[in-house]
Amino acid sequence: MRAARQVWSGVYNLILGLLTVFKHLGHKAITLQYPDERMPMFERSRGVVVLLSDPETGKLNCTACMACARICPVYAIDLERSEEPDPETKKRYPVKFEIDNTTCAFCGLCEEACNFDAIKLTGKYEFSVYDQKTLLYDRDFLQELGRDVPYEKRKKPVPKAKAAPKADPTSPKPEEPGSPKPEAKPEESPKESPGEDKPEA
Amino acid sequence: MFELEGIFNAVGNFLASFLGSPLLQIVSIIAVAGVVIGFLMVLALFLVWWERKLSADFQVRIGPMRTGPHGVLQTIADALKLLQKEDIVPLTADKKVFFWAPVVCFVTCFLAYICIPFGKGLIARDLNIGILYIVAITTFTVISLLMAGWASNNKYSLLGGMRSAAQIVSYEVPLSLSLLGTVMLAQSLSMVTIVQGQGGSFLHWYIWRQPLGFLLYVTAATAEVNRTPFDIPEAEQELVAGYNIEYSGMKFAMFFLAEFINMFTVCAIAATLFLGGWNPPFEFLSFIPSWVWFLGKSLFLVFILMWFRWTFPRLRVDHLMAFAWKFLLPLAFLNIIVTGFLIYLFE
Repeated sequence: MRAARQVWSGVYNLILGLLTVFKHLGHKAITLQYPDERMPMFERSRGVVVLLSDPETGKLNCTACMACARICPVYAIDLERSEEPDPETKKRYPVKFEIDNTTCAFCGLCEEACNFDAIKLTGKYEFSVYDQKTLLYDRDFLQELGRDVPYEKRKKPVPKAKAAPKADPTSPKPEEPGSPKPEAKPEESPKESPGEDKPEA
Repeated sequence: MFELEGIFNAVGNFLASFLGSPLLQIVSIIAVAGVVIGFLMVLALFLVWWERKLSADFQVRIGPMRTGPHGVLQTIADALKLLQKEDIVPLTADKKVFFWAPVVCFVTCFLAYICIPFGKGLIARDLNIGILYIVAITTFTVISLLMAGWASNNKYSLLGGMRSAAQIVSYEVPLSLSLLGTVMLAQSLSMVTIVQGQGGSFLHWYIWRQPLGFLLYVTAATAEVNRTPFDIPEAEQELVAGYNIEYSGMKFAMFFLAEFINMFTVCAIAATLFLGGWNPPFEFLSFIPSWVWFLGKSLFLVFILMWFRWTFPRLRVDHLMAFAWKFLLPLAFLNIIVTGFLIYLFE
């Protein structure tokens, strides 16, 4: 009797296993045909670092305040600030902005430190190259990479900006390049000379 | 209308019209062998592809997709690749035996098809000892596996060869005994007579009178072709690949294709003996050619074997032997006794 019950239990479990496996037949595959199809990366995934541009003017959001370069734990960011502010946006901009992807740890501290929505870690992950030197991304390349990256503008914390606009020069939240307000740029001493040509490229 | 028997008969008559008797004999033998081998090669390539696709489906993957639509040409590409590969012979191998092992394996797996009826009139030769011959000839596989395991001079392949010898010899006993019930019912060993005895509706198939025999046969046949859950001869985790570990290139491909042809062989035997062979399940379905029914039934059984493979875990060696000798063998004897008793009672 016991043997019969054991045999039945074995057969029953085998059939159960077969049915479980059979259920997978009609299932849609969870894998993808990689180079043809790609999994959409999550919004907060930390991949290649890019520089974001204003979608209206097409200029970099970056004001070269050096916050990211200072906080970077592996010194992957190398940037130089422009001598003169941009005549259109009345803000300074980076003349040189290089990120060394060979040392970058994708920690995301630069994104946290940035006050201007200028630098962001994206879901892009395909940056294998044959030559290690090509991993040194310059400013224009980073800008191109960031062109299609959607981002939400940070909410302006109104009371804080009103309370101490001039106390901390690196944390001015108001950032609206579409409507340039003269008092919205406390981080620079604005030497505005619109006639001067831009030192770009 | 689409019966192949007429086509083959027409070709035979055409050849007979201008060939002398002895020459006709030779030509027809070569032609039949060519047709069967060509069909089986295509079938083996298809089965390899099907196995990969099915395993992918069972595991919620996609499987081969690149070569041809849904990867149907993948196995052809693989076979071509293996053809071009270097044929490596181990330095310490027994060269002659090492060479002949895959040949024996490949040739014997075709020999069973001499008396397997693919359809109405589609049989190379209707031997009157048909099923006995098939059971005898499929056992040759074990010799080739032992040869391969021994000649490779590698501990893993030797272990794999020994294990497969022990397993196949053990399971051959319940396998043959499980077929005896059908033979008793059909009163014949000839495959054609067995198929003809199951004509009419599907209720005449021997599976209804031999359910235990069918289950025993499928179980033992799974072990016979070294497939999971009885695949200890090539247990990857312990033996890397088993008996064929030292083989490369075309020799490996021969083992590989022979494995799949053997799988189809046991399924074709099961379809012939238990599922009515080329008989349609209903009389009114007889407009569909008989070889389609035979292939459909065989491939359905192949599907079940693949289903087993991607479901069941592997048995341990001692469990495997105990299962064959302590469980399958008594059941097979019981099946024979009950069948004989019932035949005596009702006839």
